[in-house]
Amino acid sequence: MRLVAGNSYLDSLLAGRPQRPAAFSSPALAWLTQLRANAVDRVGALTVPTTHDEEWRFTDISPLSKLSFQPVRTASPLQAADVERFYLAEATTRLVFVDGGYAPQLSSVARDLGVVVMNLSAAVSAHAAAIAPHLGRHTAFQDNVFAALNTAFLHDGALIVVPRDASVAAPVHLLFIATQKEAASYPRCLVVAESGSTVTVIEDYVALRDVAYFTNAVTEIALADNARVNHIRVQRDSDQAFHIANCAVSLAHASRYQSVSVALGARISRYNLNVRLAAEGAECAVDGLALIGGQQLADTHTLIDHAQPHGVSRQLHKCIVDGAAHAVFNGKIMVRPGAQRTDSSQSSRNLLLTGKARVDTKPQLEIFADDVKCAHGATVGQLDAEEVFYLRSRGLSDAAARNLLTYAFGAEIIDRIPIASLKRRLEQTVLEQTQSN
Amino acid sequence: MSAVLQNLVNQPYKHGFVTDIESDVAPKGLNEDTIRLISTKKNEPQWLLEFRLKAYQQWLKMDEPKWPNVKYPKIDFQAISYYSAPKSKKKLASMDEVDPELLRTFEKLGVPMNERAKLAGVAVDVIFDSVSVVTTYKAKLAEVGIIFGSISEAVQEHPELVKQYLGSVVPVGDNYYAALNSAVFTDGSFCFIPKGVKCPMDLSTYFRINTEASGQFERTLIIAEEGASVSYLEGCTAPKFDTNQLHAAVVELVALDNADIKYSTVQNWYAGDENGIGGIYNFVTKRGLAKGVNSRISWTQVETGSAITWKYPSCILRGDNSVGEFYSVAVTNNHQQADTGTKMIHIGKNTRSTIVSKGISAGHSNNSYRGLVRIAPTAAGARNYSQCDSMLIGDQSAANTFPYIQVNNNSAKVEHEASTSKIGEEQLFYFAQRGIGAEAAVSMIINGFCKDVFQQLPMEFAVEATKLLGFKLEGSVG
Repeated sequence: MRLVAGNSYLDSLLAGRPQRPAAFSSPALAWLTQLRANAVDRVGALTVPTTHDEEWRFTDISPLSKLSFQPVRTASPLQAADVERFYLAEATTRLVFVDGGYAPQLSSVARDLGVVVMNLSAAVSAHAAAIAPHLGRHTAFQDNVFAALNTAFLHDGALIVVPRDASVAAPVHLLFIATQKEAASYPRCLVVAESGSTVTVIEDYVALRDVAYFTNAVTEIALADNARVNHIRVQRDSDQAFHIANCAVSLAHASRYQSVSVALGARISRYNLNVRLAAEGAECAVDGLALIGGQQLADTHTLIDHAQPHGVSRQLHKCIVDGAAHAVFNGKIMVRPGAQRTDSSQSSRNLLLTGKARVDTKPQLEIFADDVKCAHGATVGQLDAEEVFYLRSRGLSDAAARNLLTYAFGAEIIDRIPIASLKRRLEQTVLEQTQSN
Repeated sequence: MSAVLQNLVNQPYKHGFVTDIESDVAPKGLNEDTIRLISTKKNEPQWLLEFRLKAYQQWLKMDEPKWPNVKYPKIDFQAISYYSAPKSKKKLASMDEVDPELLRTFEKLGVPMNERAKLAGVAVDVIFDSVSVVTTYKAKLAEVGIIFGSISEAVQEHPELVKQYLGSVVPVGDNYYAALNSAVFTDGSFCFIPKGVKCPMDLSTYFRINTEASGQFERTLIIAEEGASVSYLEGCTAPKFDTNQLHAAVVELVALDNADIKYSTVQNWYAGDENGIGGIYNFVTKRGLAKGVNSRISWTQVETGSAITWKYPSCILRGDNSVGEFYSVAVTNNHQQADTGTKMIHIGKNTRSTIVSKGISAGHSNNSYRGLVRIAPTAAGARNYSQCDSMLIGDQSAANTFPYIQVNNNSAKVEHEASTSKIGEEQLFYFAQRGIGAEAAVSMIINGFCKDVFQQLPMEFAVEATKLLGFKLEGSVG
């Protein structure tokens, strides 16, 4: 492995690591201290990946290591009025983090919800039994330097625990706001859905200023038997930001995970989503949309791991690439030995709007069981000339026809978001972006 | 697995025998002296020796590729003998003078030589452990100006052509095994189709590895000038040995304006026994350069043998409107490993490519399709269609698909689809209902699955391929 930046860069990132929070000091939480220490060790052993690493072949993150990022230590002075526009009407429960730090004055937690929605450091003692089997257990950081960094910085985050058979009607909004230049933030989310429970979680990354900052997030979601989790992820960082995120999902018997992730912002973004169907009859639907332009790079790597029989997975990933932007998609479907009767389909659709736009897509199948149904497909192209002609024959201008078709291409994914206000907002964004051409 | 079919699963390798011919074998090991020895033995010009030495120097600096999805013990390149040739005898005037032992070998293989060659209308250039022994039909081809023979002859008789094209498609330092081949290749085929000539018959070569522990490094070069066309067939069988044999061939195709090259392969080298012991390592670099406008390069392969196959017949579509095609059937059984596919590099405008890959894995085997479709910024209007289907037989085998799609031009259209399936109980039941036994049913289903590829093969090969698949898979389904 050749180094873009030596380990000194990682050391400089680690230097800003906060001390162990007081909430973590009880002897019962020794495992947490150990987890952090292990992560620090791994950061020391790993290097910043380069394009010589297969997993990062198309995503050159060397621009990241040209800048120095440090965590923000001071509490945020932001008031509700500053960030209200990011709130969602449907979501009465909201945890807000500003530059990685929890902002209680902006958050709103309904008490009578029957569900735990708290920041991690406040909840860690009271809910240790729910946290311990999951926190840091699903996202492997052995070979993943960014997950290791996040874990090394682990001191706070968002915690959602949905008790047995509870069903939360209103979505839970986790809002991450970036405000400062060259700030590094390490958001951490843990969602534990106990058996038979249902919850909708919105993970939302926004920026107040158009500056360069670094977000390195880790989300872990554990679904017990028959649980249902709806996970919506919106990344609308500033166009200069670096956004790297790892999400690991573990599904127990007959549970169902549905996710829609939308990437609009960041100069370089990378989202790793690992979904493990760890018990029989688990189901997942994983959809994604990257809408980028200018010099942006959006990279999505997903792994859907069918470890047990009778699993079902569906995936549709779309990229709309404008300007000189570059979209990367790597979707791996793994069917492990014995995972018979797996039914999996995956589709990668890519729309290139300009001659300079670029797409690298790699839908992968690795199958070790014979009684399975697996299919994948990928297409790359521009708007269909006949479709444009059809709309023009109905009196639309060429530009209007193209915008409408581009909008429709992206709307297919956005339509799968079950929250009306967020859907409207994103549709508006897509519309604006397509019309700016 | 049904008991009826069980006993058919591991049919002994039909072509497993060793021909006892005195070989002229170089001492084991690789260094500059070995290369000089090969070059001297073959009476090569200075430029070719330099070509070899340059490749050797590059090879020394390279590492074995780690990315293929295959596992094997490290190869000791110093334990291989890099030159082995049947002891040269005086020039042969007719087929009667050919070593009867050699003839019996071909008899067992069913090579259409002698009259059979004539009847079959096939000119066979026989490669027997690196040295071309007999070339038939040469005169007939010479009438229309086609040069077809061994590459060593071509080096002596047409050095200017060899010098111009050798290494022009696969450079000496292209990859680890191509560099090794460039340094030590001993023989192979050379084919030159002059301007405007349509080759009157299919050209064919039988490759056969003999002499235990001698790696075989074939070098094939086919050039089709403006408006020329040729169909080239390559068929492979090898005798049964317990030590692994390395085969690192390089095939280069060059198609100029409006030229058309069709290259078909049936590969049935020894795959090792049912426990994965022995078998050939087949690490091959095959690449075609569609250099001229409207040129076309088509690869068809049926890969059934070898312990490990590592092979990506590729097309570089440089000429405007050029066409690349890849049709493949890869069958793995027992402990075979195959990592095969293609690369389509679109550079010229309106270039088109088609990929149809069918993988069948049975037993404990591992079968991967790895393909690259790259649309360069210059390839306006380029079009690619890829289809990769896998069939799994038994729950111990693996089928993987790794398609890389890299698009840099928005007027290009690229489509890829893949599916995985198995032979279902219901399908077999349907056949049984109509009085067709499981064995015949499996054979029919497999042939139906591979039909798109078999249609591309010349007739004689299609028959052989259909039989081969039957042999390879009988009994593995039930």
